[in-house]
Amino acid sequence: MTRLLLAGLAALITTVTACSPMEKDMDTPPESEYQQAEVYAPAEAAVADLVDVLPDFPGFANRSWGEIPCSHNGVDDPNYTSVEIRYQFSAEDSATPLVNEEYVNVLREHWTSLGYQIARDDATEGDGGTYRDIKAITEEGVSIWYSAAYLATFMVSFGGCVPVSDKGEIEYIPPAGGITPGSDGDRVGNYFPEGIPTSHEAVAPFDSPEHFDDQL
Amino acid sequence: MSELTWERLRDLDCGAIRTLGDAWKTYVDQQLAHTERLRTDVIDGHLGTEHYESDTATQVRDQIAMTADRYEDDLSDYASTRIATTLLEAADAFEKEQNELKELVPLIEQHDFEIEGPHTEYDVNLSGGLHRAILTLDPPQWLCDMCGVKKPDGFWDIDTLKVLFDSVDLYGTAIGLAGQYQDWLRSVMSRAHDADEEAAAALAEMRENPTELPPPLGATYDDLVDDYKDSVSEEVAGEAQAIAEGTSGMSPEQVNEWWDHLSDAERQALIEEHPEWVGPVDGIPVETRDTANRTLLDSQIDGLGDRIAAKEQALQGMDPESEEYEKAKAELDDLKHDKSDLTRLQDRITDDDGSPAASNQTGQDYYLLGFDTEGSGKAVVAIGNPDTADNVNTYVPGTGGSLTGAGGGLLNRADTMAFDAQRLGGGDETATVLWMGYDAPDDLIEATDPKWAEGGAADLESFTKGVRATAEGEPSNFTLTGHSYGSTMVGTAAASEGVEADNLMLIASPGASVDTASALGVDENHVWASTNDEDAIQYAPVHGENPTHEEFGANTFTSDSPREGSDWWKFWEGPAENHNSYWDQDDLNTPANEANDISRDNQAYVVTGQEERVR
Repeated sequence: MTRLLLAGLAALITTVTACSPMEKDMDTPPESEYQQAEVYAPAEAAVADLVDVLPDFPGFANRSWGEIPCSHNGVDDPNYTSVEIRYQFSAEDSATPLVNEEYVNVLREHWTSLGYQIARDDATEGDGGTYRDIKAITEEGVSIWYSAAYLATFMVSFGGCVPVSDKGEIEYIPPAGGITPGSDGDRVGNYFPEGIPTSHEAVAPFDSPEHFDDQL
Repeated sequence: MSELTWERLRDLDCGAIRTLGDAWKTYVDQQLAHTERLRTDVIDGHLGTEHYESDTATQVRDQIAMTADRYEDDLSDYASTRIATTLLEAADAFEKEQNELKELVPLIEQHDFEIEGPHTEYDVNLSGGLHRAILTLDPPQWLCDMCGVKKPDGFWDIDTLKVLFDSVDLYGTAIGLAGQYQDWLRSVMSRAHDADEEAAAALAEMRENPTELPPPLGATYDDLVDDYKDSVSEEVAGEAQAIAEGTSGMSPEQVNEWWDHLSDAERQALIEEHPEWVGPVDGIPVETRDTANRTLLDSQIDGLGDRIAAKEQALQGMDPESEEYEKAKAELDDLKHDKSDLTRLQDRITDDDGSPAASNQTGQDYYLLGFDTEGSGKAVVAIGNPDTADNVNTYVPGTGGSLTGAGGGLLNRADTMAFDAQRLGGGDETATVLWMGYDAPDDLIEATDPKWAEGGAADLESFTKGVRATAEGEPSNFTLTGHSYGSTMVGTAAASEGVEADNLMLIASPGASVDTASALGVDENHVWASTNDEDAIQYAPVHGENPTHEEFGANTFTSDSPREGSDWWKFWEGPAENHNSYWDQDDLNTPANEANDISRDNQAYVVTGQEERVR
């Protein structure tokens, strides 16, 4: 508790001045290993990997790239963001035992066999049936959350809070899981105001890179 | 402040007020039948064109039609909107607070407390009898139960000694409970006074002079009739301006009735010629406000561009070392900042072809319900249409919230909330509103001051009433979600003004301006609070009791604390970062940390009415 009290006090102090080296350090967000533009590829590759593992895969309905603001000393910092890749099944597919239940079991087994730590594995009951959540963090530090709910969704993040990149620096990555690039289900158009690039080579949705070295 | 006392409110016959309101509504319906008969039996009947065909006959028909219009307008504006609706709204508001009093006053009496002080600021104190009971080591049973001591049986034994030693605790507990009841009573009366004053304002703003009637038929008719038609248009414009400027005294429900009664042409004219009187107004339908606000946004961005060009031109002729130059340069920077903020917001809610954009996360359209560049700036943006949604979740940000954030990170967070509601919502439509509609504190020092929340309380009350007024079909399941100082904003509005919401969600709260959920005017079973165990805010409840504490009486749900310091010795980073981490994914520095997504799930379950899933 003492540590937290000190922390609260420290957070207050930083809003007033930053004179000493320590206070100066408190005014600077923690350094990040990556830039925003660098975190999409590993996250997208993690989804593409999973598609190979899931039996009778029905295809995703849509994908989007979400962002969640990052804070420093209790106040949002517009220079930092946290990226979350979202792949979603249709409501119809989400309601099937395959997607709602079996995929959770498959993922649990798959991630355990790879030695990933399962960070969450639980379920809730309600009028809409059973909603299941399972989450693992890969060796590379990619966080993968599968929410088998009304709209079953993969939410994948990598890098935590990273410095914001200019939109022009973010490269288009074709979607995995059967979504046609640039289609209505490919909801990343806001990152590419000039339109979804057409020059990229079509990537087989079920393939994924062997490693991320050239993408980080 | 109104003269209403708690005794008068307790004894008020709300049914009589409602009956009076209903009687006025019935009267209006009866009178409308007369104007309808004028149109069908007279204008289209025995004075119809098949019987009389001449210029004079046309003039007579027009004059009668205008008179009927005039009468209907007055019935609508005064008898229905001003009088009947005011009475019905007041009856509802008084009855709601009266019901709270009926629950609260017996509790005060049962615990031997007394209500004292002026009606503007009631105190709830321990009665003389209760003081004596504690001092004579004979505390009441309820107090012994609360403190976990056995009530002495009159003999000097171990129980009596325990009470003697615990007397400070007994006093503290009794005073604490009296304080909670005081908060509750003051909040009830604050909302009752608010309703009383709003009703009085609505009635007082009825125009004292009778409205102009159509000119009588005769020699001067042709000369006067055009002036009359102009005056009718000006009257509508005057009403719209008064509503927008807040001088009409009308509630959002009344505004909605007024808007509904306008002709299509009148509505269109206001949207096109005076979008500033339409866009920001609670009670006007969301789609219409969005259209008007987008016009305003374009216009303001253009206007700022012109002012920036003029300022840059002026700077060229100034001495760069002069004070005048410094001042002008600062003004130029402010203008550029405002333009940048508005342009960012516009880009976010507009497609490349200029049409309204949809959220990339949910596919729901964005609706602009208001914006302002004053101070830190304000913006109210909906993801999905609150008028047609099954659920409405309004997110009120806290410290550091601004127009800059509304076009960036805050809207990203709202998008994530919308996404989660869609993911978990069982097919129901949820509209998520970013309500950056108050001047938020810039930093944590400013956030110790309640003035920011007090300044925005009436606006948040009005917004919630507007959501209710313009809803189509069944009322939505309406949640107000306040984060950090935003929870103080929500609590202050709920306690002092009253909000039309089903659920309140207080996240990472430094206090909701009161010490008990009962004071918030919303069923305490629908008040939710969550603070993760690393969040430093739990040690700074500067605006009342920590809402996650049992004493506050709210439901709580789990939120995890995924953030850690970047180095072991940077002890301050984790608790500070965890204050805003309620929607975060894991931190790269701590990949094996607990998942924090449970907070997102829990929030979405409350918003979509699935409380049984909340953990």
